[in-house]
Order: sequence, then C-alpha cells, then structure tokens
Amino acid sequence: MVKKLLFVAALLTAGLAQADDTPPQAPTADADGFTQPLKSLKFNPGLDQREFERSTLTALNVYDPWESWNRRVYHFNYRFDEWVFLPVVNGYQAITPGFVRSGVSNFFSNLGDVPNLLNSLLQLKGKRSMEVTARLLLNTTIGVAGLWDPATKMGIPHQSEDFGQTLGFYGVPEGPYLMLPILGPSNLRDTGGLVVDYRGETQINFLNVAEVSSNHPELVALRAVDKRYTTSFRYGQTNSPFEYEKVRYVYTAARQLQINE
Amino acid sequence: MLRSLRLATLLGGLLLSACTLAADIDAASYGYPLTNPFEATIASTPPELRPELPSDEEINQSDYNLNLRPERAFSLPDNFWPVKKLRYRMARQDHPAPLIFLIAGTGAPYNSSLNEYLKKLYYKAGYHVVQLSSPTSFDFMTSASRFATPGVSKEDAEDMYRVMQAVRAQHPHLAITDFYLTGYSLGALDAAFVSHLDETRHSFNFKRVLLLNPPVNLYTSVSNLDKLVQTQVKGINNSTTFYELVLGKLTRYFQQKGYIDLNDALLYDFQQSRQHLSNEQMAMVIGTSFRFSAADIAFTSDLINRRGLITPPKYPITEGSSLTPFFKRALQCDFDCYLTEQVIPMWRARSDGGSLLQLVDQVSLYALKDYLKGSSKIAVMHNADDVILGPGDIGFLRSTFGDRLTLYPHGGHCGNINYRVNSDAMLEFFRG
Repeated sequence: MVKKLLFVAALLTAGLAQADDTPPQAPTADADGFTQPLKSLKFNPGLDQREFERSTLTALNVYDPWESWNRRVYHFNYRFDEWVFLPVVNGYQAITPGFVRSGVSNFFSNLGDVPNLLNSLLQLKGKRSMEVTARLLLNTTIGVAGLWDPATKMGIPHQSEDFGQTLGFYGVPEGPYLMLPILGPSNLRDTGGLVVDYRGETQINFLNVAEVSSNHPELVALRAVDKRYTTSFRYGQTNSPFEYEKVRYVYTAARQLQINE
Repeated sequence: MLRSLRLATLLGGLLLSACTLAADIDAASYGYPLTNPFEATIASTPPELRPELPSDEEINQSDYNLNLRPERAFSLPDNFWPVKKLRYRMARQDHPAPLIFLIAGTGAPYNSSLNEYLKKLYYKAGYHVVQLSSPTSFDFMTSASRFATPGVSKEDAEDMYRVMQAVRAQHPHLAITDFYLTGYSLGALDAAFVSHLDETRHSFNFKRVLLLNPPVNLYTSVSNLDKLVQTQVKGINNSTTFYELVLGKLTRYFQQKGYIDLNDALLYDFQQSRQHLSNEQMAMVIGTSFRFSAADIAFTSDLINRRGLITPPKYPITEGSSLTPFFKRALQCDFDCYLTEQVIPMWRARSDGGSLLQLVDQVSLYALKDYLKGSSKIAVMHNADDVILGPGDIGFLRSTFGDRLTLYPHGGHCGNINYRVNSDAMLEFFRG
C-alpha cells in the first residue's frame, strides 16, 4: 500500500517536474537554504563546448602587422603615463578647485562639438545633427562659451562623432592596428580621421581657440592635461600580462560599436 | 533514568542549536531587487540602492610600492617592468584610527572596483584602509609570491602576511588603534587563513575579521566557474561567436536608446531592455571573465617557475615580443587544468605526495573548521544563491559559524556587497 502510494507520488512529481521545466525560475532551497543557481541552467551535455576558446581566438584576430613597434609604443606610453602624464594630472587636480576643472572640461568638450556636428552631417544623421547643433547653441550662449554644460542638464547628452567614424560609416576598412605615441590605441583609418578632424578645427577656428593656441602652447598643454584627466583608462588596470591584446580587442570592438550605432 | 538523561541531552542540544542559529534574512524584508543570481553577479546593486560614499578627491590616499622580491627584477622578462614591485593603496585618516586590510578576489588587483567601494565605505566610517591585490592576481604573483603558484591557501596566506607586515613597516608613524581584516570571494578565504596565521605570529592581533562570499570548498567553486562556459547559448553558430552575439545585442540596445552612455546603471538598464541576456548567456559572461583570470594565472605561474608548459623556458621576451601565441595557449587552460598541471605537482613535491582530496581539504575552509568554530571574532556573510557554492557548503557554514553567519536570500556572487542593507551590516559588525 505504502509502496503504491509512493509510486503514485513519484509519478506525480515527475509530471510536475516535466511541466515546469520551461521557466527555470523560482528556485527552491534545499535543507541548508541553498538555492542551487546552477541547477536552473541548460548545460552542454558533454561539457566539451569550446565556445570560450573559439570566441577568444577569433577576437585575437585583429590585423596587427606592426605589432612589435606597437608594443614598444605601448610600453613607452605606459612609462610616460606613470612618470609624466599622471603626476601632472595629479598636480592639476591638487591646485585647481573642482568647478574650474569641470569648466575646463566643458569648454574643450564644447569645442569638440564642432567636429561632432560636421561628422554627424557627413553621415547624414539628421536627428543627431540637430541635437549637436542645439548643444552648441545652448552651451556657447547660456553656457558662456562652453564653460557650463546646460545642454546635458536639459537632456541632450554629449555624443562624439569623429572623422574615423565617418570613414567607417562609409565602409572604409580599419586598416592595421596602430598604437600612437601618447594618444594610445588607434588604427590607420582612425589616425587619418584624427588628422582630418585636427585640420578641420584649425580651419574653422571656432571661438578663435585654434588661432590663440598657435601662439600659446600652454592652451594646448591644458587641453592635453584635461584630456588625460577625463580619460579614466589607466595602463595596467586590466592587471593582466595580456593587456596589450585586451586593449586592442576592446578598442576595435568599441569603434565598431560606435560606427554601427 | 537513562531515558530522562537522553531527553536532557536532546533538550540541551536543541537549546544549543537554537542559540547558534545563523541569521537568515528573509527575501521580503531584505528588499534586494535582483532575484536572478546571474544578473546580481554581473550588474550588482542598482545605483540608487547603494550607500552614499565620498568621492576619490575627498579621500586622503596614495599608492605605494613594496620591493619584496628584488630577484624578480632580474629573472622576469623586460616587459614585466610594471609588476616587479607590489603596489598597494592606502587611505589614511588624520587622527589615530583603526586600520582595515582589504583583500581582493580571484585575479583582482588592489584597485578592483569592489575594493575601491569597500575602501570608500570604511574610510567614511573612520578607518585607515589598505587595499591589497589577491594572491592570484598578476602583480601579486610576480612581485610578492614566493612560489608564484597560488591556490594553496596556507602558502598564499604566508605571502599575504609578509605583505601586510611590510605595509605596516612602511608607515611607522601612522597612528593605528586596532587592526581589522576583510576580503571578498577568494580574498575572504585568504582572510580566514591570514587570521589563523596571525594567531601564532601576533603581528596584528586582528580584532575582527569579516569574510564576504568566501568559497567553502575551493574545488567546488573552481569547478562551478569552469562549468559556466559550458552552458547552451542560443544564437551562436558558425558565423557568430559568443562575443559577437553580445556585442550585437549591445549595439542594438544603444541604437534603440539613441546614444552611447556608459555608467553604473548601464548593465541594470540593459537587462531591463528587450536585448537582455538569458541566464545561460549571463553564465557564459561570468565564466568568460573567470577564464581570463585562469589564463593569466596559468601563464604567469608557468613563466615565473619556468615550467615550460606555456612559455618555453629560454624563450627571449623583450618589450616588442608578441605574447599572443602564449595567450592562445594559456586561454585553453581553465582552473582545473591549472590545478592539475601546476598546483598539484608543486604541492606534491613540497609536501611528500598526497591526493587531490587531501589538497582540497587543506586549501578549503574545512582546514580551519575548529579554528573558525571557536573564534568569535570571525563572521561570514554569504548568499543563498551564490554560484560558487555547492550543495552542503551552506550547511558547513551553519555548523561552523552558527550565529556568526548571515545568509542573504539574493545577491548571487558578491552582487549585494554594495547594497545599503549589506553595507550597514558590515559596518555594524566592525563597530562591535
């Protein structure tokens, strides 16, 4: 009798188990209170899937014919960062109050909206061009030449578009990976884009900054320090012997994402 | 008579177990929003539920270097110049204060985001804080580890203890009232072994030690982590790898959003969107991040000990040499492979043989059961849905720590450490 009952109970629970295997939610705790999170996952039956290896090996396929040079530049940049750049940024942080620094960042970011606008136009992105135009107008007038950033507060966040992205948008391949001295990871296409953006900026001479900068190198230096101050990347932050490969992949994937977006 | 005696023991037993019951937090009053353990592990707490913390600029802190293994400057290849000295970070109060050591989790450096968070939390509460890299991290292995083969918890604790002593010696004028110790994930296991070591060496006499989400059985934990990359993920095929799948989802997410915005809430927001990842995909993401740690550990250990499994022992490496071929080899090695190929042979050679079971017993919390049971200054906080635990592990914690175990219903692996309820409990524990 008891056996029969048990059998029926077993059948019932089996049926139940089958019924609820579609949503593996609502885990039940065991006697210790452990909810066994791995139980809810569908595993490859043989546990011999090589997807991590396949994905990573594919990701390592970045065209990098100048790797030896690039790695040396990577180490140069790392040292320059440790010994020169970051100490200067720390000094800058120590001697200036926070509102001055954010003013400086906003000012240069507002200058950068000029190439952003041009590149948005070149990519025929109507909505974005309008947004960047609105940013430029608001920040340059109400924001007093860009020292404040009222546009972001009004819901128009900063979005960057550079000529490298424009080239990518029109299908120009990225070319070889290139580690630029001081500026960091890039590739041939984006380096070309950088040059074009720089030339464009000097030609347009927005707010007269480009012209003043040519006689006042301290303005260029301030811009460089601000750039480093606002860039959160630190050499060594991945804490991995393979940082070079990881940075290379992340740079390539991030650029791809920016272009597709 | 005999019967009444039995009854008495039974009653006594019941009473005893009643007063050493673990603090089980029930889900309703806990209020942690992420009930999915994988989501919690990846995204951690939504920003508005985190405690309010000081910004970096409000903290008086600096990085320091320790030259603990000067011979490595000569034995390591040139391109390892940044990790020939061990770096750590110290935040100091301007008045005499207790000092707390933070030990990072698997493969994580002193400035890992969780360590940074814990620093801010304890600094605000008035502690001097020292952030330390995990013994499994790249920099610790190259610059502080004697054998550079992390995994044998006792040896790792010895290395860590030397680092802590050196830190203390580097700041002779810092006014310290008491020493405290905490760590998360593997760092919590290290903290338990360091605390045990301190009972005989007495350099610090830690007043209180808090373990956050420690592995109980180290082998269960690494097996679980290795297994996470074996989930069946939909959408992978011959032309799309897993990374491309995730990047595609991210791209579509940003396209729908209209702009790219990287912030603390990104992952949380992403999981609420239509592009969210499935449990299997999230497991794969977690597993992937641990596989990268395993690759780093396997490569570094092999290189320093010149075992020739990944890097040929006399292979010339300069700043320009490509490490990609070695990366390709190392990434095929998961934790199990590292354990069998590197840890066990070394451990056998140093300790006259022994089986895997013995090793597991020695390197897990089991080895410290009596110590942990009897020392009231050590407490543990864990989650009922932590992916690094196996069946029976929480039972072990219950019977060992009794009421010094706080078990949260949700949080995955370390996902709720930055939840306000947890941070309050952590501060409360150290306040005593």
